[in-house]
Amino acid sequence: MLKKINLKNKTALVTGAGKGLGKACAVALAEAGAKVIILSRTKSDLTKVNKIIKKTKGSSQSFVCDVTNLNDLKKVLKKISRLDILVNNAGNNRPQHFTKVSQANMEYLTNLNMKAAFNVAQLCSQKMVKAKNRKKIGGSIIHMSSQLGKVGCEGRNVYNMNKFGIEGLARGMACELAPYNIRVNTVCPTFVETPMVKKFFKNKKFKNKMLKNIPLGRVAKESDVATAVAFLAADSSEMITGTSLLVDGGWTAK
Amino acid sequence: MGIFLKDISLKGKTALITGATKGLGRGAAIAIAEAGGNIIAIGRNQLELNSLKKEIKKLRVKYLSFNCDVNNYNRMKLFISSLKKLDILVNNAGTNIPESFLNVKKSSMETLLNVNTKAVFNVAQLCANQIIKLRRKNGSIINISSIFGVVAGQKRTVYSMTKFGVEGLTKGMALDLAKYNIRVNSVCPNIVLTPRTKKYFADKKYNKYIKENTPIKKVVSVSDVATSITFLASEASSMITGSSIIIDGGWTAK
Repeated sequence: MLKKINLKNKTALVTGAGKGLGKACAVALAEAGAKVIILSRTKSDLTKVNKIIKKTKGSSQSFVCDVTNLNDLKKVLKKISRLDILVNNAGNNRPQHFTKVSQANMEYLTNLNMKAAFNVAQLCSQKMVKAKNRKKIGGSIIHMSSQLGKVGCEGRNVYNMNKFGIEGLARGMACELAPYNIRVNTVCPTFVETPMVKKFFKNKKFKNKMLKNIPLGRVAKESDVATAVAFLAADSSEMITGTSLLVDGGWTAK
Repeated sequence: MGIFLKDISLKGKTALITGATKGLGRGAAIAIAEAGGNIIAIGRNQLELNSLKKEIKKLRVKYLSFNCDVNNYNRMKLFISSLKKLDILVNNAGTNIPESFLNVKKSSMETLLNVNTKAVFNVAQLCANQIIKLRRKNGSIINISSIFGVVAGQKRTVYSMTKFGVEGLTKGMALDLAKYNIRVNSVCPNIVLTPRTKKYFADKKYNKYIKENTPIKKVVSVSDVATSITFLASEASSMITGSSIIIDGGWTAK
């Protein structure tokens, strides 16, 4: 009756896999048995993640790649023979009040969080559609969204725009890729203990204000998000598509 | 437990399941037992409660049953307040009487409101109070909702009214119970093939309607839903509360 989170014989690609959530997802997928392909701009980070995966007796392959560079992305995809799972994770945030958002920041965030996310998803989907036995062995794409893909928040207007966009993209992709037995979902975490969030939380006033907004009264752990991603990647969720898994401690329930 | 991948384990936990003799309730009981959880089954059919006992006992967990109609508040209260262990509630008992809005009978409307709304509320309140009284470290309540708790369907006005209500209740409960570390979520399946829905599927037109509306061309299985319920019951989802897992093959993504 209970379907286990088992990814044996599946290949997964994770972007932004050098740090934070991407790293956690890569390791969790390897722990569930997947062969993991990790992408990051920073070689030394990739080396560290490779080592952790090796320790868990998993297998991984890494590529230094900036996902905003379409040509580099294409080159990486050419070197991959089969793909079953994509964790479309690379992203960033530069909080600014709406009236003060600089053009440079808006361009940077939108290029990374939307344009690159779209490109990665499209290139990987093209590969996933062609995989042998796709009708039998389902594919799964998980976009790293955010609770801010569901509700607004001060100083997060560009990030809101980007992540609401990803929620839309996921639903559109789900409709179009269903005939190929490829599922598309998002994971929407609240603030997670990652290097990015640690930086924001140096501002204690901000930290306390955010914690007050999480009914469970704690930030998410990287493992909370990575486990949700692994659940969506595996056949344990084989009828779940075009939806979001909220890992937000109740933030959006209010 | 891996470094980043959490196990779906319910060892040492006790789960109460309403409507446990058939369909989704029975599936949830078996899946929870497979994850190591002890079972308290509520149902109205003694023969089926006995046959469930046999199945659960094979999985080497404890089994307790109570033959009771969830509408019987006093008997439910007496039973639940006597429990020595309780961590999880699968608030499943529910029913449906499909009728076109203009022709909905007063009696069917009353029945659905009583079972799907009032009894669901009462069982949830009784169990939450008992989990708090027993000072359990954490708790998880899963309300069985439906895609018709998110969108409308033909001849589903009353059902939608009750299930949208359950969605609201879930979010409200999540906020009130967060400080006790009791999480509250719902699962929203598409129409699952169960003893109750078998008669719907016998209708060719209905079959076509389901197929045309489900991008992933499969019927949701009891095991699909039971797996999501078990995931939400376990600490693998410890930051997920006030939310819904939609298991609909993309029905509501359109």
